[in-house]
Amino acid sequence: MAESYRRSHWGHAVFVLPYLTIFALLLAFPLFWSVWLSLHKVDLFGPGRFVGLGNYARVLADPVFLQAFRNTVVFVALSVPTLVALGLFLALALNRTTRAASFLRGLFFSSSVLSVAIVTLIWRFVFIPGEGLMPLIFEQLGLQPINFLSTAGWSLFSVGVATVWWCIGLPMMLFLAALQQIPGDLYEAAALDNASPWRVLTRITLPSIARTVMLVTVIQIVMQFQLFGQAHLMTNGGPSGTSRPLVMYIYEVGFVRWDVGKGAAASELLFLIILCAAMVQYVVSTRKPEVAE
Amino acid sequence: MSRDTTYRPEASRASRPLLWIATLLAIVTMAPVAWLVGLSIKDNRELMLGTESVFRVPYTLINYINILYSSQAFGWFFNSMVVAIGQTLGVLVLSSLAGYAFARLEFPFRRTIFVIVLFGLAVPEQAVIIARHQMFNWFGLHNTHIGLILPGLSSAFGVFLMTQFFKAIPRDIDEAALLDNASQLRIFWKIMLPLTLPAQATLGIFTFLHAWNDYWWPLISATRKEMFTITIGIASSQQNFAQSEGLGFLSAQAVFASLPVLIVYMIFQRHIVTAVSGGAVK
Amino acid sequence: MSASIEITNVSKNYGTLTVLDDISLSIKPGEFVVFLGPSGCGKSTLLRMIAGLEDVTAGTISVGDQRVDTLPPGKRGVAMVFQSYALYPHMTVAQNMSFGLENIKVSKEEIQRRVHLAAETLEIAHLLDRKPQKLSGGQRQRVAIGRAIVKEPKAFLFDEPLSNLDAALRGRTRLELAQLHARLRSTMVFVTHDQVEAMTLADRIVVMHNRKIEQIGTPITIYRRPATRFVAGFVGSPAMNFIPVQNISQNGNGVAIDASGLGILNAELHLPTAFSPEGAALGIRAEDISVLPAGQSGIPLIVEVVERLGDRTLIYGRLSDGTKLTAEADGRAQVNAGDRLEIALDISAIHLFGADGVAHHAVGG
Repeated sequence: MAESYRRSHWGHAVFVLPYLTIFALLLAFPLFWSVWLSLHKVDLFGPGRFVGLGNYARVLADPVFLQAFRNTVVFVALSVPTLVALGLFLALALNRTTRAASFLRGLFFSSSVLSVAIVTLIWRFVFIPGEGLMPLIFEQLGLQPINFLSTAGWSLFSVGVATVWWCIGLPMMLFLAALQQIPGDLYEAAALDNASPWRVLTRITLPSIARTVMLVTVIQIVMQFQLFGQAHLMTNGGPSGTSRPLVMYIYEVGFVRWDVGKGAAASELLFLIILCAAMVQYVVSTRKPEVAE
Repeated sequence: MSRDTTYRPEASRASRPLLWIATLLAIVTMAPVAWLVGLSIKDNRELMLGTESVFRVPYTLINYINILYSSQAFGWFFNSMVVAIGQTLGVLVLSSLAGYAFARLEFPFRRTIFVIVLFGLAVPEQAVIIARHQMFNWFGLHNTHIGLILPGLSSAFGVFLMTQFFKAIPRDIDEAALLDNASQLRIFWKIMLPLTLPAQATLGIFTFLHAWNDYWWPLISATRKEMFTITIGIASSQQNFAQSEGLGFLSAQAVFASLPVLIVYMIFQRHIVTAVSGGAVK
Repeated sequence: MSASIEITNVSKNYGTLTVLDDISLSIKPGEFVVFLGPSGCGKSTLLRMIAGLEDVTAGTISVGDQRVDTLPPGKRGVAMVFQSYALYPHMTVAQNMSFGLENIKVSKEEIQRRVHLAAETLEIAHLLDRKPQKLSGGQRQRVAIGRAIVKEPKAFLFDEPLSNLDAALRGRTRLELAQLHARLRSTMVFVTHDQVEAMTLADRIVVMHNRKIEQIGTPITIYRRPATRFVAGFVGSPAMNFIPVQNISQNGNGVAIDASGLGILNAELHLPTAFSPEGAALGIRAEDISVLPAGQSGIPLIVEVVERLGDRTLIYGRLSDGTKLTAEADGRAQVNAGDRLEIALDISAIHLFGADGVAHHAVGG
């Protein structure tokens, strides 16, 4: 039949079948299965009994969970603004066509391709007492060395430094992309209007990329809420849980203590938080762009 | 090039200091890497006496040579290669097929299915990882390559990306091919697929990097040492770091483990940058 | 190889939206037919239905003796040149041209022969190994035509193929298309919204408007004897003047028309007895209005704007009662805005349009 390619046809679904199978088995089913698990008392040794929202109550009453939640919120509240501000600064500084700028862009993005195990190794060797780079520098300056990785407060800070170092590439690139989208004639008009560089920045550049700033912020919130590897490898949550993030809590409950139901409940709570952020992201990204063509 | 002739205040003299600050930041940023590389080319015994020896000769490649004798690192490297390449190929095939169908073919419930798949984008790994772990247990898939590859194939990102790319190809092209008597399969294979090569490259690079660097799933699935990926291997040797092979050896191992991603990055830097920034920054 | 195309009672609906309403049309073998109309009139849809890229909702389409509306696009024996050219970006020019032939398993030698022949004809032989993005707009256009020629189709379909070219190239390509048609003697169906293309290329023009065919005819018929007020207004530049008619009375073997600002005009024109002056309009082209030499008296016109096109001068003005009118004078005419002119109408060139839009022409026009 003519136009059969556009006509609805069961046979066409063959193309999506392989992915859908994987999707159903490895994403959809586990999602429901996780919810089921979170409503049951399950451990390593066998199927459990239905406990309703009992696991959720246990999680929410767990001081370790509350501490991890607080840690995560503090971490997000400090790392995300840093990433956004630094990313924006780098984008503004490197938004030029020179070779040096291009090289520096490549350099700042390069850390993003490393695996978390490498990143944490690098930063442990910087912070590690006695042998690290920081203690050496402190010694040279005649300062009292700080034990960054095992002092409350400093440990989460160290994780944050490694995280910003690791993740700075993406915000920078997204900001650069946004800056490139600003029509050049806006700047030409501003030049004819005698605008100072500061006014150009605050009145033209920043308003033009306001939506990208929002978008980058939300993306980073979603990503940083999932902090795990850096803390797991650099401080192992210590000292006394002051640098333990939510995901590490899930890991410890689900895969170290094998309290599967409770771990599932905690993971669904995290999912809810991330889902909210993702919804904000969706709304932001589908809003009309502020720079009209 | 219009961009070169366009007046850009960022490129004007007033913003010169910004570039200097950025250069300074770059040096600070690279210092830890230089430190790691420095450690990797020092003899362990010398480092034991004090790491400030990094700033002095002699340097040595002994740590790298030792990797050759440490069968574990090579085994981990091999596992990572199998997992990363397997996952990349799998994602490319699944996403291309599904993306083409979502973008170009009509079948019942197409929109509904697509929306459900999109919803999958919002599901973080943590939300399913406990259930997945149990399922893989049922089927005995832990500590196997397949078991390490499979979860990465479920990501909806590739399907979404390929759907967007197929949609961006003008309809005229398929219509011209239809008038040229090409069958549906031939249109997919000879016309559409070659046109999405740039997208395939982008998706392939990102999948490879992601698989190579993945930490969560291999951490809980590969529990036998010989099934570690290099990322997990490095992570495990740094956790019991006191009784490990020494700073120099660990550093060399880290450099070795990063080589594939750094090579991929250097070859495809332009491509990666273009992909990340949506093509705006060349 | 050229074939006739028979379109019988064809309609097209998208859900409740009707795009084409009961279209019938027959195209003779070797004829060059142009579908002309404003955008959204359905002309492209009709072409795509012939190609098989759109389903017909009702009716039949035949190419030659074969009914094709149930066949897939490739099996209809037609070739199409797209507005965007739709060249395969990853294939060379030669591969673009051979792809369709390979699909129907034409022998390698035959493909070679046809591609080279077409390339010679279109003067693109030196481009055969290039990819489309290395070609200029005009070259791409030739490749698109070449890709159609090698298939030796029963009919060529063109979907606004000149609209992406600049003005100079458009003119040249138009001429070349006319030559190509003269040489190949193939059936060609060409869709455009550009009346100049339609007038210069077509054996017959099909003017379409609002899901329907308004008129089918040779370019001169369409221009001189437009069937409806729409056709009269759409074809010709500047657009035909329409002057509201107050009253019409029978007058010997003609009629006396009382049109606002023109006064009473006596024209030889046959009207049906039921014709009502209610909502009727008198139509006349600018070129059929002449400016009288100073001293002679005719119909007064106050000049508002003068456009000098070099070879002729367009005069936009108002009649005594304020009705707008466009007249034409030769390129050397001494006319300025604000002038008061006396003009005359070529009474044999007037048209009378009823409220239903149907045209009645002056005898001898």
